[in-house]
Amino acid sequence: MREARTESPGGAATLPRQGSSKPPPLLLRAGTNAAVALCLATALVHVLLVFLHVAPPNPLSRQYSRQVNAWVFPLFEQNWRLFAPDPESVNRQISARTLHTAPDGTVHVSGWFDLSGVDNSAVRHDVFPSHTAQNTLRRAWSSYLETHGGDDRPRSERALMMQKYLTDIAADRITGHRGGTFESVQLRVITIPIVAPAEGPGPGSSAAAPKSVETRYLPWWKVTSDGN
Amino acid sequence: METEQALVPHRGVPRTPDGADAGPPRPGPERVGAFLAVLTERPVSLYAAAVLRIGYGFLYLVFLLREFPHRDEIWGPGSPWTPELARQLFDQTGWASILTLSDSRPYFETCYALALVTSALFLLGWRTRAVSVLFAVVVASFHARAIFMTDGGDNLILLMALYLTLTACGRRWSLDARRTRRRASAGKGESGSTDSGADDLRHQLATSRRTLTAVLHNCGMFVIAAQVCFLYGSAGLYKVQGGSWGNGTALHYVLNLDLFRPWPELSLLADEHDVLIAVACYLTVLVQVAFPFVLFGRLKYPVLTVLLGMHLGIAVLMGLPLFSGAMIIADAAFLPDRFYRSLGRLRQRTGAEETGAPSDGERALVPPQSAPAGRGSSAG
Repeated sequence: MREARTESPGGAATLPRQGSSKPPPLLLRAGTNAAVALCLATALVHVLLVFLHVAPPNPLSRQYSRQVNAWVFPLFEQNWRLFAPDPESVNRQISARTLHTAPDGTVHVSGWFDLSGVDNSAVRHDVFPSHTAQNTLRRAWSSYLETHGGDDRPRSERALMMQKYLTDIAADRITGHRGGTFESVQLRVITIPIVAPAEGPGPGSSAAAPKSVETRYLPWWKVTSDGN
Repeated sequence: METEQALVPHRGVPRTPDGADAGPPRPGPERVGAFLAVLTERPVSLYAAAVLRIGYGFLYLVFLLREFPHRDEIWGPGSPWTPELARQLFDQTGWASILTLSDSRPYFETCYALALVTSALFLLGWRTRAVSVLFAVVVASFHARAIFMTDGGDNLILLMALYLTLTACGRRWSLDARRTRRRASAGKGESGSTDSGADDLRHQLATSRRTLTAVLHNCGMFVIAAQVCFLYGSAGLYKVQGGSWGNGTALHYVLNLDLFRPWPELSLLADEHDVLIAVACYLTVLVQVAFPFVLFGRLKYPVLTVLLGMHLGIAVLMGLPLFSGAMIIADAAFLPDRFYRSLGRLRQRTGAEETGAPSDGERALVPPQSAPAGRGSSAG
């Protein structure tokens, strides 16, 4: 226990052990003990609640879900399903095009702009890829899927927010790369399954994994403001 | 043996500070007493806490600098996740962030600069307790502002930043430690005791404060250890449920994700060895599930080594150095102080050989006293 003695030089080396000095006043001692107990209890409760938050839903976490959520959210929220239960078995190619109505009433629809392609080439040969390439579009799309599901009618406030977010991402990137004026954008998501290894089985239990390329066109969305 | 049980203080029978040996198993109450003594008197794993501080401070600094060209797009008023959307989400989730207090660009740039300075000061261990709170506020603010751009690495850094505010992570390898050492060697013997009542009370208050600091630190380190165990445990157990980890093809799919393939040639090369891939799949799951259980024995060293290799692989092959770095630092918390002290001694010895100075004690870590002052006065 060399540690204990070299602790806080100048002071703790001579740990006062109730030798010459008087014992601390009762109030101080009680206060210290109470604080120690509180620290211990909080640590144990925290660990227990985080466990219930991280573990799969079970009778205990269902029964105390309100308490668990009240404690864990938002600061201690976590999810360690890293590539689990199965890693994604598809690549997504997300593209966008724009629509512009000229003053004389003619409608111009642009060609497709490959947003994912920009991300992929930003990642390629970079030792430390940016979050903007690896996470922005990927997580925006997965959050959109979570809130919308199969169709494109937003049913919650969160779903609307994700739609707005995707619109902003597409609009910002097209403006940044290609410029031009437009009032609406449309997204197209091509889902390309990763080919299973030569003679190996398919991508495990994820039965929903598509076997062929799927293309999804999203509705035209109004670009709200071009202020920033 | 001395710090084998260091990180998880509730475990094992700690020796009492006066050197009484653990010896034969002691009756229950005595064990509880010994546990309480360690809990309240001895902050455990101070070097590991310092490594966490230095590691996460450094990592966040590098992250902020890496994203310098994209800072407005990620956290600024020009982000596609507009300040308005962020505030709307905060209303729903209860988050808060200093970044949404104003939408002006200069305000954002000030916050970004503040984040850089805070990370650097945290890494150096300057006024650590106060700076650690500031660091936690900064990390939480930046995390919350760009919540839809975060991944597991960011999440872990946030949790650690929060927990580190509880610990005495500035006691070792820090500017604070250097200042304390200097003051101690400068002011030795000055504290002559005058036996007055006020002095007594101050003394008792100091003891109380020391006790609370130690308890808070130990609780913080315990929570950090538990957190890392939960991380690996759940990552492993969720993988067990997946078919592709079971049939050994999961990493084939991982290696073919465009966004996590910075070196396609390398990924392709690894992907060609399907037996190797299957072995790596099984090893990943096994090591992650085993992690919480091997921490208390010697088996933890090979497991930590395998994990280090795994994370280095992820960092390079998948282009996730931030995530891997965060995990490696978390793993480093489980190395005993004994290990870090011998590292320090090694550094001292090599340093001493270079300068030809004697290598006793912590001398080599302490710069010569008042050298800058002397130089200053001679110049002036």
